[in-house]
Amino acid sequence: MKRRDFMKKAAAGVAASTVFGPVFAQTKKKIRWRMATSWPKALDTIYGGAETIADRVRAMTDGNFDIRVYAGGEIVHGLKVVDAVQQGTVQAGHTAGYYYIGKHPAFAFATALPFGLNFRQQNAWLYDGNGNKLLNELFADFNMIGFPAGNTGVQMGGWFRKEINSVADLKGLKMRIPGLGGKVMARLGVTVQVLAGGEIYPALERGAIDATEWVGPYDDEKQGFYKVAKYYYYPGWWEPGPTLHTFVNLKAWNDLPKEYQQIYMTAAAEANQQMMVDYDFKNPPAFKRLLAKGVKLRRFSNEIMDAARKEAFALFDELASSDKFYEKVYTDWKAFREDIYRWYGTAESAYLQYVASRS
Amino acid sequence: MNPDLLGPLMFAAAFVFIFTGFPVAFSLAGTALVFMLIGISHDIMSFNLMSALPERIFAIYENYTLLAVPFFIFMGTMLERSGLAENLLRTMGILFGPLRGGLAISVVVVGTLLAAATGVVGATVVAMGLISLPVMLRYGYSKELATGVIAASGTLGQVIPPSIVLIVLADQLQVSVGDLFVGSLIPGLSLSAMYILYVVAVALFKPKAAPALPPEERDLHGWQLFKEVMLVMMPPLVLILLVLGSIFAGLATPTEAGAFGALGAIFLAMLYRSFNLKALVDTMDATAKLTSMVMLILVGSTAFSLVFRGLYGDIWVEDLLLNLPGAEVGFLITVNLIIFILGFFIDFFEIAFIIIPLVAGPAATLLAPLFPEALEPTRLALVWFGIMIGMNLQTSFLTPPFGFSLFYLRGVSPPEVSTMHIYRGAVPFIAIQIIGLTLMIVFPHIATWLLTVTSSGY
Amino acid sequence: MDFLLSFSRLIDALNEAVGRLVSWLTLLMVVIGVYNAVTRKLSQTIGVDLSSNTYIELQWYMFALVFMWGAAYTLKHNAHVRVDIIYSRLSERGKAWVDVFGTVLFLLPFTAVVLWTAFPIVFESWKIHEMSPDPGGLPRYPIKAALIVAFVLLFLQGLSELIKRIALLTGHQVALASGSEEEPSL
Ligand code: NA
Ligand code: NA
Repeated sequence: MKRRDFMKKAAAGVAASTVFGPVFAQTKKKIRWRMATSWPKALDTIYGGAETIADRVRAMTDGNFDIRVYAGGEIVHGLKVVDAVQQGTVQAGHTAGYYYIGKHPAFAFATALPFGLNFRQQNAWLYDGNGNKLLNELFADFNMIGFPAGNTGVQMGGWFRKEINSVADLKGLKMRIPGLGGKVMARLGVTVQVLAGGEIYPALERGAIDATEWVGPYDDEKQGFYKVAKYYYYPGWWEPGPTLHTFVNLKAWNDLPKEYQQIYMTAAAEANQQMMVDYDFKNPPAFKRLLAKGVKLRRFSNEIMDAARKEAFALFDELASSDKFYEKVYTDWKAFREDIYRWYGTAESAYLQYVASRS
Repeated sequence: MNPDLLGPLMFAAAFVFIFTGFPVAFSLAGTALVFMLIGISHDIMSFNLMSALPERIFAIYENYTLLAVPFFIFMGTMLERSGLAENLLRTMGILFGPLRGGLAISVVVVGTLLAAATGVVGATVVAMGLISLPVMLRYGYSKELATGVIAASGTLGQVIPPSIVLIVLADQLQVSVGDLFVGSLIPGLSLSAMYILYVVAVALFKPKAAPALPPEERDLHGWQLFKEVMLVMMPPLVLILLVLGSIFAGLATPTEAGAFGALGAIFLAMLYRSFNLKALVDTMDATAKLTSMVMLILVGSTAFSLVFRGLYGDIWVEDLLLNLPGAEVGFLITVNLIIFILGFFIDFFEIAFIIIPLVAGPAATLLAPLFPEALEPTRLALVWFGIMIGMNLQTSFLTPPFGFSLFYLRGVSPPEVSTMHIYRGAVPFIAIQIIGLTLMIVFPHIATWLLTVTSSGY
Repeated sequence: MDFLLSFSRLIDALNEAVGRLVSWLTLLMVVIGVYNAVTRKLSQTIGVDLSSNTYIELQWYMFALVFMWGAAYTLKHNAHVRVDIIYSRLSERGKAWVDVFGTVLFLLPFTAVVLWTAFPIVFESWKIHEMSPDPGGLPRYPIKAALIVAFVLLFLQGLSELIKRIALLTGHQVALASGSEEEPSL
């Protein structure tokens, strides 16, 4: 939008509310927000989650509720979105909760836990289970309210410069892997490095790191990792269905008219679905292209995954014993997880395995 | 006040404030505060947004690339304080014998390599300024030539891989970093060659500006000269080459290589018995001050950009770009001009964030037809476009009155060198840059040829 | 004025001490930088993990301390770069006036705004004992708090420079750092 129009509209909104009186004024209330995100615009699918929210909100309010979306670094660094929302620097943010486990370990449940839930399971726990309710207790401590607003589906395990067959091969390996996945890898002897998006390729190219995880075929192909690391591992057991969140500063939220709150929540729910739809549409052709480029596909061995799963749950238990709130969420999550895998292990997985193997 | 004017007014105000002579870092920050007040009083931004300022400073803390800054400054200072740098360049001068301008050519070569390796303008310019400026002045080089050569070579790292500018541009243009590196190799090295040609021309036509070493300094011959070369010239040169080589060979990141370079400089100083507590304390002291000088300019610049965004200056720039004249040449000239001017006050990360997403689309559409024979004309056009923007930014770092490179050099030059010397010294190199940019526009193959022969994708 | 000048001397002494202290961190950074580089390569070769995010993060913690805590020290030594085309042609009094205005209008308000906005952020971080999100990483709250210290030091040094300029303008004897006097080669 043109800057002049942007400014003019702000003035027009104020005028309308005074002309039409209080009843109309509420529905026509003119509101401008800034939304900081963790993403570069080049990650169009994930960044698109934030844009979906802004676009839908604008459309549903006839342009009166106007949210300007900023890429990571434009207002604050991509890993400081929660800080910015908490302080009211911006009214809203779009990010991944698990970037903030340094603030509280339970932030991980918002996004994904190693060997945790996939997209549909995650949604079931968040929306119908206790997920959103519990997490919003946590978010409230950070002066925010949060809504699921996107998911990438099961990710890939990432790009390795050499083959990794056993746990022994992981020792001393320098890998870019954030969050709890990183902590599990560290327990297996990996030296974990967290680098921002643009820094990864040159680090991998120059051998400053030996491996990196990213997202999946569609995003990975654009980063060009296949040019500098030929082994492409799967599955990304640490991110089986990460949920991205939109966070809103509590004061900004409470200042919103009820109608706009409903509109915002609807837009977030749509973003939550649309991102998954986008990934499911864009990943298959990208995957085909990567295979055609000679990428060597490798599955993590059961030895590695067993060791990782053991360390993951040991880590969860440790965290639970050191923090009451974490324990509360973990207990709920773990029970839900057990039940749903009993169910998913039946019809869902048998059908998928059969069909995929015959396609 | 017409809010549309706030963006351009901010630039004008920074211009005036910096010219008062108050430190650049705080003049930029002060401009930000003045416009923050205007923005708040006109209800365009709220004070809350300023909480992003500490967060942005925290992000500067954690920037792994910038960590290289103190290391290269440390290495440069140590080599300078211990007299090793002077001996190195003097021996090079003897080696070049009666060849006028030899010292300046050495500076272009070493400066280019160092700049290419660190990719950080501040680190290179400060290190090269410390190592080579006093020596060039001692041997009677004109102040203009001496400073111009350093300031210009120091910026070359932006277009010679590995370069942070190119990495960020690649990310924003959605092209492969590797492709941008390959494409920028010929343009970057050509610039370096043109710098050398310019030095040769000065030596030919204005011999006083680039003298040869006086005969009494060139009294070494044969075996003695060989010994001198091996003992005095080789060790520091080997150190610098090892540092650079380890980066190019992928053994170390620029930051790690910088740390090794600094340690190596200490060992060399010990080896030559010019290491003592005073030299060490002096080096550490200078490193702390120079690092702070370089980094505080970034802090000031980040405050400036934050408020610029707060006032929707980014939308102002978008408007400018969206109303561009349609033809390729008009588009290219306007984009280049806007980026050039923004480059004075806003660091390149911000420019890349504001501008590139806006122009990438039009650039791809407008410029792809220029490469009819390519397999993927769009990607090739974007690589070419990215290198051009990199070169443009590099030029603006070097352009008076506000090129960052000139500030940094001013920060390490001796009192007899004035700001005007540095400004005048930069002018011929800017002319070279403009020639280079024009050649890139007229002959896109300068940037794309190597790519088309090395990569099957094009 | 005498009282103010002794206050200024106190600030100068404080920042001189802090500056000299952080300058040693540059050497420590070199040592740790080399350690990080060596252990990264070594770990890959011998398969024992010697490197750690502790040291990797320690490196940028020290970097932050050097340039942030050194900022006031750098100001004291007049080593923050100026565009001195006009400034260098001014008389001593003219220069003092530029510095008085710049300090009052730019430097002091800027440091005040950073302090005002940073305080709640640092307080939050301290309250929750914010950690690095990465395994083996360091606590974040001390390094965030270091920003407050840095800008308090910078604010104080700004006051000290202001006092010295006003003293000069009111005809008192003061020695101002010219940068070049103390550091002939800088
Ligand atoms: Na991932
Ligand atoms: Na470079």
